[in-house]
Amino acid sequence: MVTRMAITDLPLFQALKSKMQWHQVRQSVLAENVANADTPEYQAKELRDYEFADHLGRENFGLQTVRTKAGHLSGGMSSPASGKVEEKDMFEVTPSGNNVVLEEQMMKVAENQMDFQAASAIYTRSLGLLRTALSKNA
Amino acid sequence: MDLIKSLFISASGLKAQNNRMQVIAENIANADSTGRTPDEEPYRRKIPTFKSHFDKEIGAEMVEMGRIAEDQTDFVERYEPGHPAANEQGFVRRPNVSTLVETVDMRQAQRSYEANLNVIQATRRMVQRTIDILRA
Repeated sequence: MVTRMAITDLPLFQALKSKMQWHQVRQSVLAENVANADTPEYQAKELRDYEFADHLGRENFGLQTVRTKAGHLSGGMSSPASGKVEEKDMFEVTPSGNNVVLEEQMMKVAENQMDFQAASAIYTRSLGLLRTALSKNA
Repeated sequence: MDLIKSLFISASGLKAQNNRMQVIAENIANADSTGRTPDEEPYRRKIPTFKSHFDKEIGAEMVEMGRIAEDQTDFVERYEPGHPAANEQGFVRRPNVSTLVETVDMRQAQRSYEANLNVIQATRRMVQRTIDILRA
């Protein structure tokens, strides 16, 4: 089997990739909380903090199809990213049993967006480094 | 992709708040709708309810409007002998809509709508940043 290494398989890019994926999942969890801010009995959810262990588990994304005959195409399938979602005790519970505090969620959305931007900026810079190394007239 | 998923979830929130706003508008518009005869009931206030349901395709809890319930509180009576809907004592039954309650409800719907919009904006910015990686 021929193994190829894409640029995005470099450890640095892998780390950023899994971090960005974590932020994407978190964004959908937060969107869920905000959408259900007025639903009775809804309990706010939160993603477990991103840790180094999460990155270790996600170094190899997805599955690779096996080529059993000449002429088969190889295809990669990325597994859906999943973090541990947990229900969280919030500061305030309304009489309807809903504990989503909109202000808190807004803060988290902003924070999530900023962190994602940071990760994607570092990703872009790292690509720039590679590009500099590859270019003739550096 | 998860970011697109977030957009769908927020959109369900927008839709639910929009429906709620419609019910509130209906209540306020009918705040003075009495019956035409003494036997006919005036407008009964409607209460929008929300429920979350798990969307299998998106894989998240989306929000949607539940049943629209009717407010069972008593109608307000007002002395107005000349009114066609007045009973023998001269009282007219008026809708159990309180404009104050509706206004507060409206503000809440507005606030939740804006919160969902904010999430959409943040998500769009994140999508944009991802696309920018290609450009740099």
